[in-house]
Amino acid sequence: MKSKKWLPLFVFMTIVAMLVGACAPAAVATPAPTTPAQVQKETVIVPQEVEKVVTATPPPSGPVTLTFWHGYNADTETPFLEKTVIPAFEAAHPNIKVQDVNIPYDQFHQKLLTAIAGGTAPDLARLDIIWTPEFGDMGALAPLDEVMSDFATYKDAVFPGPLSTNFIGGHYYGLPLDTNTRVLVYNKDVFSAAGIENPPATVDDFLADCAKIKALGANHWCFGDGGTYAWAVDPWIWSFGGAMTSPDYTTSTGYLNGAQTVAAYQFLKDGVDKGYIHPGIKGGGVDTWGLLGKGQIAMILEGPWFPPSFKSQFPDVKYGMALMPAGQGGSISVVGGEDIAMFQQSKNKEAAAEFIRFMLSLDTQLQMATVGQMPVLTETTSSENLAKLPDYFGIFLEQLKNAQARTPVSNWTRVEQILTDAGTAILNGKGTPQANLDDAVSKIDPLLPKPAQ
Amino acid sequence: MAISTNTQKKIIPYLFLAPAAVLFLLFLVYPLLKGFQISFYNWSIMPTKPSTFIGLDNYVKAFQDQVVGTAFKNTLIYTLITVPGQMILAMLAAVMIHNITRGKIFFRTLYYIPVITSWVIVSLLFRYLFQSPEGLINYFLVEVFHITPDPVGWLQQAGTAMIPVIGLGIWKGIGWSMIIYLAALASIPHEIGEAASIDGANTWQRFWAVTLPLIGPTVVFTLVMLLIGGFNVFISVYLITNGGPMQQTEVALSYMYHQAFDFIDFGYAASLSFLLAAVIVTGSLLQMKFLRRPVEIS
Amino acid sequence: MRLRPRIFKKSPVYVALIAGALVMIFPFIWMISSSLKPNLYVIEYPPQLIPSNPSLENFLEAWNANNFQQYFRNSAFVAITSTLLSVTISAMAAYAFARFKFPGQETTFYVLLGVLMVPNIIVIVPQFFLMKFLGLRNSLWGLVLIYTATSLSLNTFLLRGFFEQLPHELEEAVLIDGGSYLTIFANVILPLSTPALATVSIFSFMGFWDEFVMALTFIDDPAKRTLPIAIALFQGQHGTQWGLVFAASLIALIPIFIFFFGLQKYFVGGLTTGAFKG
Repeated sequence: MKSKKWLPLFVFMTIVAMLVGACAPAAVATPAPTTPAQVQKETVIVPQEVEKVVTATPPPSGPVTLTFWHGYNADTETPFLEKTVIPAFEAAHPNIKVQDVNIPYDQFHQKLLTAIAGGTAPDLARLDIIWTPEFGDMGALAPLDEVMSDFATYKDAVFPGPLSTNFIGGHYYGLPLDTNTRVLVYNKDVFSAAGIENPPATVDDFLADCAKIKALGANHWCFGDGGTYAWAVDPWIWSFGGAMTSPDYTTSTGYLNGAQTVAAYQFLKDGVDKGYIHPGIKGGGVDTWGLLGKGQIAMILEGPWFPPSFKSQFPDVKYGMALMPAGQGGSISVVGGEDIAMFQQSKNKEAAAEFIRFMLSLDTQLQMATVGQMPVLTETTSSENLAKLPDYFGIFLEQLKNAQARTPVSNWTRVEQILTDAGTAILNGKGTPQANLDDAVSKIDPLLPKPAQ
Repeated sequence: MAISTNTQKKIIPYLFLAPAAVLFLLFLVYPLLKGFQISFYNWSIMPTKPSTFIGLDNYVKAFQDQVVGTAFKNTLIYTLITVPGQMILAMLAAVMIHNITRGKIFFRTLYYIPVITSWVIVSLLFRYLFQSPEGLINYFLVEVFHITPDPVGWLQQAGTAMIPVIGLGIWKGIGWSMIIYLAALASIPHEIGEAASIDGANTWQRFWAVTLPLIGPTVVFTLVMLLIGGFNVFISVYLITNGGPMQQTEVALSYMYHQAFDFIDFGYAASLSFLLAAVIVTGSLLQMKFLRRPVEIS
Repeated sequence: MRLRPRIFKKSPVYVALIAGALVMIFPFIWMISSSLKPNLYVIEYPPQLIPSNPSLENFLEAWNANNFQQYFRNSAFVAITSTLLSVTISAMAAYAFARFKFPGQETTFYVLLGVLMVPNIIVIVPQFFLMKFLGLRNSLWGLVLIYTATSLSLNTFLLRGFFEQLPHELEEAVLIDGGSYLTIFANVILPLSTPALATVSIFSFMGFWDEFVMALTFIDDPAKRTLPIAIALFQGQHGTQWGLVFAASLIALIPIFIFFFGLQKYFVGGLTTGAFKG
């Protein structure tokens, strides 16, 4: 009978199912974070009630588990967080466990939005400073100035610039966690092969050096970057004296399509056409670290996480660091960094606040500095503390004096998409810089906040 | 407990259908209706901000959005290239493997390996192979076969960025159709082919006049399934180009997904879904009679 | 003696088949080769097919750096449970369609086919809210239910075609002996349909094992990730360390290869017996 053939298959699958079921009880039996009851509760919480809910929550008595989402890099920062920082926190707070979730930067924004929409936001997240306005404006974040009774202490302890990215509609929705900027990183061996003695101080020097580097061969590029997003193009725009928007962020007309910004894009376009700039910037990206390590790209722009991480990958490569080459607008780089924010959906706001306090303590800030996270506490600039920071922070601190933030508006994700597409079109020769930027301005202006009356 | 056979005959089919019906109604029919409703709203996810009814605004926006046109065009191009590509190459492979005596199973297995490999893994693999300027494909083109003097910037240009995606679609799909064609070829009685060859028909004539009509229903089945698969293209785009450069390689579903989960514009995403569904249903109605055929023939 | 000229005549066919086979598997060979190159932070140029210092370092690092056993168990649980549920439920529905006449039969069947035409992803937004409402986000059982539901139309369609071909005589005999329709289904229809059921099971299993979009959208909890999600995230974290990414991918591929090669004979049996003649 044919059933003999069917039987073993069915038995096989059933057995495998049972085996798998038996060894995965934790994965199956654990109640999902969103049981229907919790969903109801979450929809009940409206901001007016948040204060009551929060003040009514007693300090955590039973053990609670906090989830903390971050995009720390996988080679040095995440292992340090998991092996040193979190264990120290858990030792000091026996009732609180921290489950950290590492999500790569490229997927972070989408995963977080999805989780918020799905009612499964983490308790805490480390947000790129440029995302905080969007999530705050959406109502996803808890106002820390209401949730943390000692918020004023922290507000006064951090640098005002990074703090400002958290102030949205009259409340603070986060605290800065780390700050950074990009400086010029160059491969010393390539520089000596091309006969360049010092890193370029100005854009003109930069171009002169590029000509020498290009002479090394077709497989050599003077400069490389991953695309035309704001993080990559802003330093050039600003150093050329251009701007994204008006200082109050209400319009991009006359700024993004102004003469200096156009000149910056023209400079990038010429660089790509002459083979100075690696074509990956036109789209598709490029492994800048790998090519810098191999000496095929001579210069890149990088942040303070670069030295420890690069060393773990390319221990033998000699590199130097310098300020952003100066143009008409001076040597101006882009301010980056992350905020730590708490979500409205968190049911452990007291415990979450404890973790924020811990991450902003002097000890933790100084520890995270060893893996390239620049501290945000003003007291770290005291000479005693400064001595504990890595030497290479010097150049970044110097550059931070002349660095600007990307446009902090709630529609940033859409604004940046338009900006990136315009840049890609320009570098690929699809229309002049002026035409593309005029078009971008007409699309970006409606997304910017209305001017105050 | 004697229930008359007639009563049984009336109730039993519903009992057998019940589990499928419950899941189907809950997880597919209800979402379809709900999605239709969402498409007329500016849908908010935050309890503090109510969703507002905006009528046809999302649909109007879709018709004015240039990227929507690009995305639908790309979906169509993908389908029109990958479906015949897979079918022709799969048929070629199937006929050749069917006619050899040694190594049938060997070749069948090799051609089938891409099919059983995860879309995620092969998408990442293709992204790696098509890197520029120093990916493996460029190495073959420039250094080994000297087809192009300079490396191709595959993922940098809208014109070439779809090539890895389409190539992956064909490469991964050949084995699936091939194995179905092989099964169909194996079911053709030997005498038919022999009769034709006695009549003096050459291989090509025999295939065209005898074999193809016999396996016609199978070919129609793969055609329909591949068309469905073509309109389903998402993972490879999401992982290879993610719609770039300049959103020029977005396909309908990737653009919809970006609107929903990058910009939380769920209403707009839902309207894009229904526009795609409308395109597909229209196309399907035209196909319906073909689909009926294999069912009737059996 | 007769074999020799025939093989000779067929040599162009073999050449073509071998060329095709190379195209089909070369990417995998390349993947294996890359995964054996330790600490590959940069793309080699010119590329080396044979690693100069082959090592299993990447495999060890991938296995240890990630919770792969957990992801594997999650994927296996979801794929196997969904396959069993989907095939059972579809077989029941297919039986109803193939062997009974009931009001609304045609309409129901066309609704089923209509849904088959439309990509599942188009309802991902409303499904997302439904899963949230039912508390099924971040739940492997949630994935099982939705995977089962989305696979029903195709499986029912395929099985109905097969069931319709089966002879009626045995069933009548069962009824005369006093058996019920359930007896017919369990003792006649299912045993006779082994090849079709096996085929449908294997196709379903591979689809579930591979599923990416719903798992991406409905699962946030790292403990509930399935392998496709884990691999995509892993690539994001180790962007340029392709050797490491491919080692992780190969680890993830092993189970599906074992499953496929282990069940290949059932699979091919199902096809040659004509499950796909519809």
